[in-house]
Amino acid sequence: MTTHPSPTTTELRARLADTFSEECREYRQRYHDNPAAIVPILSMQGVTKHLDGRMVLNGIDLDIPKQAITAIIGISGSGKSVTLKHLVGLMRPDSGIVALNGQNLGSLSGKKLQAVRRRFSLLFQGGALFDSLNVFDNVAFPLRETTRTSESEIQTRVFGALEDVNLSGMGHKFPDELSGGMNKRAALARALITRPEIILLDEPTAGLDPIIENAIHHLICDTFLRTRTTMVVISHAVPAIFKWCHHVIVLHQGKVLASGPAMTIMDSSDPVIRQFIRGEVDGPIHIL
Amino acid sequence: MAHPVLLLGTTALQVTRETGRMFLFLLQTILASLSPPWRLRNVFKQIHFIGMRSLFVIALTSVFAGMVLALQGYYTLSRFGSEALLGPAVALSMIRELGPVLSGLMITGRAGSAIAAELGIMRIREQIDALDVMGVPPIRFLAVPRFLAGLVALPLLTVIFDVIGIWGGYLVAVQLLGMSAGTYLGGIESAVSMHDVTTGLIKALCFGIVITWVCSYKGYFARRGAEGVSHATTSAVVLSSVLILVSDYFITAMML
Ligand SMILES: Nc1ncnc2c1ncn2[C@@H]1O[C@H](COP(=O)(O)OP(=O)(O)OP(=O)(O)O)[C@@H](O)[C@H]1O
Ligand SMILES: [Mg+2]
Repeated sequence: MTTHPSPTTTELRARLADTFSEECREYRQRYHDNPAAIVPILSMQGVTKHLDGRMVLNGIDLDIPKQAITAIIGISGSGKSVTLKHLVGLMRPDSGIVALNGQNLGSLSGKKLQAVRRRFSLLFQGGALFDSLNVFDNVAFPLRETTRTSESEIQTRVFGALEDVNLSGMGHKFPDELSGGMNKRAALARALITRPEIILLDEPTAGLDPIIENAIHHLICDTFLRTRTTMVVISHAVPAIFKWCHHVIVLHQGKVLASGPAMTIMDSSDPVIRQFIRGEVDGPIHIL
Repeated sequence: MAHPVLLLGTTALQVTRETGRMFLFLLQTILASLSPPWRLRNVFKQIHFIGMRSLFVIALTSVFAGMVLALQGYYTLSRFGSEALLGPAVALSMIRELGPVLSGLMITGRAGSAIAAELGIMRIREQIDALDVMGVPPIRFLAVPRFLAGLVALPLLTVIFDVIGIWGGYLVAVQLLGMSAGTYLGGIESAVSMHDVTTGLIKALCFGIVITWVCSYKGYFARRGAEGVSHATTSAVVLSSVLILVSDYFITAMML
């Protein structure tokens, strides 16, 4: 008698990567056949922003495709985090429009803005865990405060989420007792737990070792394939990130330098993009 | 160098803007505290922090305040041969003035500074933004419990301050200066009216508002790292203390 062994996690992971790269190819095909057929869920038009008298966003136009993973890349200080904060309405543009499903976020306030915000979750670059709560309560926080989930279900979901980010058994620790990477992962668990419509992640893999970085990429991709949530990921994990997203937006000096399917951008002949992807010090971007 | 008129104008605008923002913050806090959900657990936690954890400081300062009041009062009154009035003098100044004001100042130093620092750190570490993004209104979540706790804790602390202060006066008057207990306490009973008590409690209530409002506000809008938080804390303590003394005068004038 032969038994069919259930697939090992290694096989599952391989399958995940295959399924996803197949999807990305399809996405590229659809995009090139007819870019207008890709429905944007979030868009920015002509957004400018000055901070402390410096122009940080200099006329950003971008569309975030619905139910896809979009990566925003660009050199440090190019305005990625500021762009993300505009997308949730934490910062308001000096001029231009940020729209969610065609509705201008700038026109919302009070209860309406609150309702819109609950459709998002955001992982901050710095984590932004609450110092006074332990990891468990931090992850449970959005469920407790914004949903009517029973305490027993909260338990199950939080333990599940902590396991997903490889933090099982760390629930009782406080944020200041965790390493930088653990902090980041706890915050990621908090961002994923409410299952919102749109998930924005500001450098989910920064400061992680390559193994965990890869695991987090798998987790994000797995979450996507299970829920079809729109995701925006800011990442410095170039070129690995190109494998893990449908769409890439390249920011440079407060503007969108390029936007398109990951593979198209990867093959771009633009010297700035090429320099960035290869991480060369010499080139059109002057660092030193 | 900037033109003096320009400087004056900019400063005036800045002060106006800041004042407006402060009152808006107060208004938002009051409005939010009028409607559910109240998050009573958070309110109790804050009452514990502002009230319970301040008891020792309040007890210590009040007993010495009462003692020195009796000592000074005795010295002054004895010049006019009216030592018998020492009880009422201590009790009235405690209940009408020193109880609320000194409690207010002590709580500003102990709890107000902590409120400003805590919210300041939450601000610069983007924890307040995180609340915002989760759709949890930060003013309701952070400022309201502290505000309500201030409203409850300050009057209670003031009453405790009054009682211990009067007892401190008793120690000096009766144990040290040899006054009869009957004279000290009997005088208090006949001289203190309900109106005096109400005045003191209204002051305490107002100071409760001032402390939690100013300190939450300063922390809430802290900027620029550790230095910004330390600046917010300092200016919260200074402004709250000043406002306590200023409003004390006006409440007294109105309640006379
Ligand atoms: N709150 C702020 N006040 C003033 N300037 C700011 C603020 N936030 C960002 N900036 C400025 O805006 C620019 C873009 O910042 P941003 O955080 O978006 O960069 P980034 O692309 O996310 O970089 P990194 O990859 O290093 O995170 C920077 O020059 C920064 O100095
Ligand atoms: Mg950033």
